[in-house]
Amino acid sequence: MKYKSQIVAYWFFATCMLLLSLQVIYGFIMGFAHMGFDNLHSIIPFNAARATHTNLLVVWLLTGFMGAAYYIIPEESDRELYDVRLAYIQLISLIVVGVTAIIGFHLNWWEGRKFLEIPRPLDYLVVVNVLVFIYNIGMTIWKGNKFSTTQLVLYVGLLSAALLYLPGMISFENQTLDSYYRWWVVHLWVEGVWELIMGSILAFLLIKLTGVDREVIEKWLYIIVGITFLSGILGTGHHYYYIGTPKYWLAVGGFFSALEPIAFLGMALYAITMYRRSGRNHPNKVALYWTMGCAVMSFVGAGFLGFAHTLPQVNMYTHGTLITAMHGHMAFWGAYAMLVLAIISYATPIMTGRKLWNNMASMLAFWLSNIGMVGMTGAFAVAGITQVYLERKMGMDFLTVQKEIEVHFFGLILAGCLFTTGIVLYIYNFIKHGVPAPGNSLTEADEVESVPSLI
Amino acid sequence: MLSKKQARMLFIVSTGLFAIVFLALTYDSMQQIPARTNAHNLSASAIRGHEIWNDNNCMGCHTVLGEGAYYAPELTRVYERRGEKWMKMFLKNPEAMYPGQRKMVQYNFTDGQIDDLISFFKWIGEMDLNGFPAKPTIKMSSAQNNGAVSANSPQVFKDVCVACHSVNGSGGNVGPALDHVGSKFDAAYLNKWISDPQAVKPGTAMPQLNVSDADRALVVEFLSGLK
Repeated sequence: MKYKSQIVAYWFFATCMLLLSLQVIYGFIMGFAHMGFDNLHSIIPFNAARATHTNLLVVWLLTGFMGAAYYIIPEESDRELYDVRLAYIQLISLIVVGVTAIIGFHLNWWEGRKFLEIPRPLDYLVVVNVLVFIYNIGMTIWKGNKFSTTQLVLYVGLLSAALLYLPGMISFENQTLDSYYRWWVVHLWVEGVWELIMGSILAFLLIKLTGVDREVIEKWLYIIVGITFLSGILGTGHHYYYIGTPKYWLAVGGFFSALEPIAFLGMALYAITMYRRSGRNHPNKVALYWTMGCAVMSFVGAGFLGFAHTLPQVNMYTHGTLITAMHGHMAFWGAYAMLVLAIISYATPIMTGRKLWNNMASMLAFWLSNIGMVGMTGAFAVAGITQVYLERKMGMDFLTVQKEIEVHFFGLILAGCLFTTGIVLYIYNFIKHGVPAPGNSLTEADEVESVPSLI
Repeated sequence: MLSKKQARMLFIVSTGLFAIVFLALTYDSMQQIPARTNAHNLSASAIRGHEIWNDNNCMGCHTVLGEGAYYAPELTRVYERRGEKWMKMFLKNPEAMYPGQRKMVQYNFTDGQIDDLISFFKWIGEMDLNGFPAKPTIKMSSAQNNGAVSANSPQVFKDVCVACHSVNGSGGNVGPALDHVGSKFDAAYLNKWISDPQAVKPGTAMPQLNVSDADRALVVEFLSGLK
């Protein structure tokens, strides 16, 4: 570790671990409710569990991105973080706002707008919080001694993510307009500017882990984010098929969202190619697993499974069914959850000075969580396809169909247990690293230690 | 192959170009959406209904326009499917209508709030949605054909009772089928049963529906005829 202020990132990552474990618990509550075991209905009705599950996801990913930025930006700018105290204040206030929102959800205090349920007064606090973060990072870059494409793309991604939060705060009386601008946040985040963040964090990890020349990696970074926006911006149209919007969105959304997998394929090929050119034997193999895994699983989940229901002819029947849950789970896992877990796996040993990489727990964490997620996606797929045929194609009653597919939620829960075992091992390993203490961190020399390749 | 500078140009140009196209299409959509969504029919009551929908995060279980969660039914065409009478009864006490099944939160809506929600769903149901939700394409031979109950049944039977009961194989399957119910029970018993199910059979899952006297008489007459 080059700068001691990078340690701020550790506390953001620790917060991620906490929020992720809560998210998993709420996932189980919903899985059981789908099977008919809704014993918690009076305290945690399904809509509260659902809002909590998805918002925790968004918050822990954002916390992870912030932690990643606090780790990466000082190193790329070649100076200490602009204001360390401000970073801690920002983290604590983020946690306070997040906890308040989650308690609010259980007391029926929210906005009924998917993914953006956080009540309006708290929205303003989120904006202030993010502005403080953007300011802190921006000043570090501004006063930095070095300038890199990776840091520029990361900064542009974070800044645009903050700006795109604003359209979600406009209220409309018309449900269609409400949805129209809600997607500016949700779609343009996950299939737009978050991919800038993803691309730049991957670039940083690849530079560190493979030792491939920065110029080559950064050139490809531009090409990939270029393709992302080329397809992703008009790809928003796949949310505008059937919500009261003009018919041309069927053509525009269909065509451009069919191109979206190319960006994710590009991301996967880029990571694999860089790995193959690898001129360096970095000892932290598990971080490399998560990095390569992220690039590949994001293509499978976001690219391939997204394409599976993105064409208007297909979406006519799958729109608003469990098919969306199938795609959503693996897409978020592959593209963003694995990315945050990759940077945590890479940075934690360096910050704490404990080389707990490549041990049994960390390797099992990788495999079990991934196999579990593949199984969960499969369970959602079978449930979703059955729902589409029985309810949408044959016109059977909603609840009758739900009874038929209950058994697939048992499968979901089994796979979820495997997934959870992986996550528990990951968190266990994270905790075992201990808290970073000054002077303990690893140096650059520790990063080129040669160990036999495990791949 | 591209140089780094060319790659950066690709990124800037494609982003700029497609952002402009997107904004232009958004401008055009804003011109068309009011007509396609019948914004002129968006009454004060429907707007209040929309607020109730938002404030209680109904999207956390249901979908409307196909957006939301997948725990409870799609409600885009609920007004057409269920009708006002059924919706009123359901929103008064959701669990009573689906005893022992997946639960909905009891919000204790006032009559005014229920009317607002119904106006909201009526407005949603009349939008031009490019054909969504699609009509079922696979024909079923006999089983499960909701809605097509025998033509001589009274309207209230079609609106309310068929949600749970079936006649001639069409209708819901929450309660027992009502074929031949007329030969099992006489009119007086049926009348008493519908007006207060708990008094006849304590603990029964059949809800007290509070239908008007006139409607009840029609239902009793119809059921008595099912021999």
